[in-house]
Amino acid sequence: MYGWIWRHLPGNTWIRVLISLLLVLVVVYVLFQYVFPWAEPLLPFNDVTVNN
Amino acid sequence: MPVRVVVRTFSELCITVGALIVLFVAYVLFWTGVKADSAMDHQIDTLQNQWSKGSVAVEQPRPGPSPSQSESQSDNPSPAQDQEQGQPQTPTPYKDGKPFAVMYIPRLGFTWNKPVLQGTGVDILKKGLGHYAGTAQLGQKGNFSVAGHRRTYGDPFKDFPKLRPGDAVVLTDGTTWFTYRIDTKPYKTLPSDVAVIDPVPRKSGYKEPGRYLTLTTCEPEWGHSHRLIVWAHLDATQPAEAGKPEALRR
Repeated sequence: MYGWIWRHLPGNTWIRVLISLLLVLVVVYVLFQYVFPWAEPLLPFNDVTVNN
Repeated sequence: MPVRVVVRTFSELCITVGALIVLFVAYVLFWTGVKADSAMDHQIDTLQNQWSKGSVAVEQPRPGPSPSQSESQSDNPSPAQDQEQGQPQTPTPYKDGKPFAVMYIPRLGFTWNKPVLQGTGVDILKKGLGHYAGTAQLGQKGNFSVAGHRRTYGDPFKDFPKLRPGDAVVLTDGTTWFTYRIDTKPYKTLPSDVAVIDPVPRKSGYKEPGRYLTLTTCEPEWGHSHRLIVWAHLDATQPAEAGKPEALRR
C-alpha cells in the first residue's frame, strides 16, 4: 500500500518525501476536522445530563 | 510472492490502524480541550462585550454593597424589567445556545471560570456549561440546574468529587453576583434520575421551595453509567458594581 504510493509519486527521493509529508498532513487535517468530530460523540464522554 | 504481499499489506494495515487510534486519543484528550478552551473564552468575551454595552448601567443600585439574604432580594436577569416589587417575576427567557452567565467555583481552582449557556445539547456543552431548559433561572425560586463535562472539552468538572458542603458556587449575569453554597457531598445516581433537577430535589434534603442550584456531570470519570450531583442554595447576592463577592477574594 505505502510502497505503491511511494512508487507512484513523481520526482526524486526528496520531492517524494516532501509530497509524502504533505499527504500525511492532509490526512491528519481531514481526520481532526471531519472524521473525529463525527466519531467522538459515539464515545460516552458526552453524557453528563440527567434525562429520560 | 503472494504470501509476501499478504503479510506486508496486513502489517501496513495494522500500523495504519494503530496510528489512527493514537491520533484519535490525542484528539479526544488534547484537541477537544484546545477547541473548548477557545470556544469558552469566546463565549465569555461575548458576554463581557454585552455587559459592557450598558446593561449594567441600567441596573438600579441595590441597597448596600454587603451580601444580603436571598429572601430579601428579587433578582431579575433582565435589567429592563427590574422592579423591586414588580409583578410575579417573569424574567426574559434565555436564548437557546447563547451564554448568559459566568460560573466560578473556587474549589475547582482560583482561576476556574466557565460560561453558562442555555440548553444541554451536545454542541452547547462543547462551548461551556449547559443550563437545563425548563429549570429555574439564575437566582430565581426553583432549581437552577447546570450540566458540564467531566472529561474532554476542557475537563470543566474534572475535580467534581472534591466539592464539599460549604463550597461556594458563584455566578454572575453581568448585573448581579449570586453566591450559592453547596449543601451535599457529590451524590451518585443513575442517568434516568431526573428528579435531581426538580424544583425541590427529593434526595437533597431540602424540604421547602427555595432558590437552589444543581450541578450534574458524568460518573465514572470516563464512563456514562452514572451521574454525579451536588446541590446548593442561594446564600447571598450583590450587585455587580459592588465588586467580586467574598468567596472569590483571596
